[in-house]
Amino acid sequence: MAVEVAPQTSNLARGMRALLAAVGVVGLGALLLAPTPARRTYPGRTPVRMWHMWTGEWKDVVDKIVGKFNDSQSRYELVALSVPTQGADVKLLLAAAGGDPPDVMAQWNPVIPTWANNGLLTPLDELMTQEERDRFEREAYPIVKKLGRYRGHLYGLTIGLNIHACYYRPDHFREAGLDPDHFPTTMEELVKLGEKLNRFDSGGNLSRIGFLPKDFRHMAPLFGGGFFNWETGDLTIRTEPNLRALSFLTGERKKLGFANVVRFESGLNTGGFSVEWPFISGSYSILIDGQWRVEQVGKFAPNLEYRVAPIPPPAGGRTMSGWSNGNFMVIPKAARQREGAWEFVKFWSGLTQPERAAEFYTMGGWLPLSPTIAAAPKYQEYLRKYPQFRTFLEVLPSENIQPLPPVPYQVFLMDGIKRTEDSAVRGTLSPEEALAKLDNDLSREQARRKEIGYAE
Amino acid sequence: MGKLRRHLVGFAFISPWLIGFLIFTAIPFFSSVYLSFTRYDIVSAPRWVGAANYATLFQNDPLFWKSLGITFKYALIAVPLGTLCSVALALLLNHAVPGISVFRTIFYLPSIVPVVATSVVFMWILNPQIGLVNGILRNFGITGPAWLQDKNWAFWSLVGMSIWGVGGSMVIYLAGLKDVPVHLYEAATIDGANPWQRLTRITLPMLTPVIFFNVVMGVIGAFQYFTQAFVMTQGGPEDSTLFYALYLFDRAWRYFDMGYASAMAWILFLIVVTITGALFKTQSRWVHYGS
Repeated sequence: MAVEVAPQTSNLARGMRALLAAVGVVGLGALLLAPTPARRTYPGRTPVRMWHMWTGEWKDVVDKIVGKFNDSQSRYELVALSVPTQGADVKLLLAAAGGDPPDVMAQWNPVIPTWANNGLLTPLDELMTQEERDRFEREAYPIVKKLGRYRGHLYGLTIGLNIHACYYRPDHFREAGLDPDHFPTTMEELVKLGEKLNRFDSGGNLSRIGFLPKDFRHMAPLFGGGFFNWETGDLTIRTEPNLRALSFLTGERKKLGFANVVRFESGLNTGGFSVEWPFISGSYSILIDGQWRVEQVGKFAPNLEYRVAPIPPPAGGRTMSGWSNGNFMVIPKAARQREGAWEFVKFWSGLTQPERAAEFYTMGGWLPLSPTIAAAPKYQEYLRKYPQFRTFLEVLPSENIQPLPPVPYQVFLMDGIKRTEDSAVRGTLSPEEALAKLDNDLSREQARRKEIGYAE
Repeated sequence: MGKLRRHLVGFAFISPWLIGFLIFTAIPFFSSVYLSFTRYDIVSAPRWVGAANYATLFQNDPLFWKSLGITFKYALIAVPLGTLCSVALALLLNHAVPGISVFRTIFYLPSIVPVVATSVVFMWILNPQIGLVNGILRNFGITGPAWLQDKNWAFWSLVGMSIWGVGGSMVIYLAGLKDVPVHLYEAATIDGANPWQRLTRITLPMLTPVIFFNVVMGVIGAFQYFTQAFVMTQGGPEDSTLFYALYLFDRAWRYFDMGYASAMAWILFLIVVTITGALFKTQSRWVHYGS
C-alpha cells in the first residue's frame, strides 16, 4: 500500500511545485511588466499633485495641458494622476481625513456644497489677489459664478462648462419634407415637428425618434421654474412651472409609449462619450445633448451633416435656459501646495491669461470661463472649424442657465429629482404626486439634518 | 517561562494576520457601534447625536423600510429557490453516467466567474431589444418584458439570475450525497422502497446538515446582496431593486452619512444574527446528524 502511495505523493508534489513555479513566473512577469508610476520630470521643483477623473482620449488632453504648465514653470511641477471615477470622491475624502489629499482636484460631480460645508475645501477667493477677484467678478459668465459658489465663497473654478442644446439632422428634415433652415422657436412647435420625424418599422416598433424631451433638470428652467430661489436660498419644488414641465415630460413620453421608448433605447448606446452616439447613426433626428459632442462628431463622423440650435422654450417659458454642470478645480484645505495648486488652476482656467488658456478649452471641446477667452484667436479658430459650437456660446451668457441648487445634500437632491421624473413618466405617480413626494422627501431630509446639528 | 515564550513565538507568527484583523476588522466593527450614534462625514470629527439615527430610520425613512422589505423578499424567495435548484442539480449529477464530471464542471463553472462579469453579461442577456432572452422569446412570437428596466420585472430578473450561481452549493451537496452510507440504500431496496421513497426517506434527511449549512450561508448572503444590483440596476427602476446594502452604500459613500449608515449596518447585523439564531433553533426539528 505504502509503495503505491509514495509515487502518487511524489507526482502530486511535483505538480504542486510546477504550479507554484508557474504562478511565481507569472507574478514576476506581472511585476516587471507593470507600468511604473509617472516619474518626476523636474525633480528640483516643488511637486503639486493633481487628481482628475479623465481617462482615454480625455486623459491625453489633461496630460498635454499639464505638460504646457510644467513647461511654463520654473518653480512647480504638476504631477497628474487619473483616479477611477467611481471611487474618486471617496478616495479624496479618505485622503483628506488621513491628512494627505492632493493639492488640487478636477471634479464634475455635485460635491462643492457638501465638501465646502464639511470644511474640506479652500475658498478660492481667499487665494485670489484683489485684481483676480475683480477680474473674476467682472468677466466670468454668470453660470460660472453660480456653479462654484457656496454661501458667498467661491470653492470651485470652472475649467470647462457643459451646456446642452438641440442637435438636429437636416437630412432627416428634408426627407420628411421639412425645412432645416427653420428650426422651431417654441417647444410646442418642436414637439409637433418631432412627431413628423418619428419612424416605425413594419411591426409598429419605433425605428427612429424624431424628438423626445427628457430630463426634468433641463425642462424645469425652460418652463420658467427650477429648483432653487437664488435670492432667498430656498428650494423651490412644488411650483406651477415645475409641475407644467413634469406634466409635459410625462405627456410626451405617454404619446410614444413608455415601454416602446425603453425598448428602442435599450438597443442603443445612449450613455457615455462613445463613438456610437446614436445621433450619429441616425436613431434620433433631434437630440438634446452637451457641447462636447461637437468635438466627437468632428473626430468620429467628420462628414456628418448636422446643426445645433438652442432648446426652444414653451409658450411663457424662459429662452436660453436649461441646466448646466461643468468641470471645475477644487483645492482641499489640507493641501500642502495651495499656492502651486492655485497657479495651476489659474493657468488652466485662464483667469489671468485668457489668450493662452483658450487653447486648452478647445482641446476638450469645453466652454470657457469668460467671454474674453471665447474672443481669443485660438478659440475663434476653433469656432471656425466647428461652427455648430457657436450655439453653445450664444446660450452661455444667459442668466437663465441654472446649476443644481447649492445645498449640502446635493446628491440626495439630484437622486430625488431623477426619481421624481422616473415615477412620473412611468405613470406610477401623477406629476402632482411625484412633486409632492419629492417635496416631502426633501423636507424630511432637511429636518433630519437640522436635528443632528447641521445648519442646512 | 518556556511556555510563555512559546506562546509569544506563536503570536509573533500570526501577528501579520492579527494586526490586520484588529486594524481592518475588529476596530472598525466596534467603532461603528459608536459611529451609529453620531453624525459623521469622514472629514470632520464624529458628533454625538444620541439615538437620532435609529429614531429616523424606524420612524421617518420610507426607503429604509422599502429596502428592508425588498431584501427580506429576496431572502425568502431566492434562498429556497437556490436550495431547491442546487439540490436537484446535485441529485441529477450524482449518477454514474459517462462524462458526468464534464457536466459537473459545466454547472460549477458559472459560480467561479466574478459577480461583476456575470452581471455585465446578464445585462446583455436581459436587454429588451438586443438581449438573448427576448431574442429567443421573439422566435415564439412573444414580446418579452423590459426585464431590468421594468419595475415589475427587475427584482424577478435578479432572482432568476441568482440561480446561475448555484454551482457552488451544488458541489457541497454532491459531497454530502457521497457521504450518505450505501448500506442505507441497500437496506431500503431490499425492503422494497421505490426511488421516491429512497429520496425522501434517506437522501434528503441525510442531506439536511448540508442543506442547513447552505441555507444559513444563503440567508446571510441574501441580506448582504449588493453587487449585482449595484452594477445592473443601481436600485431602480423606481427603487424596485433598492436592496438594503445598496441603500446603506448610498447613505455611506454617496451622501457621506456615515453615522446613519453605521446605524443601518448594525440593524442589519442584528437582523442577520436573529434570523441565523432562529434557524439554529429550528434545526433540532429537521436536521439529522445521525448516520
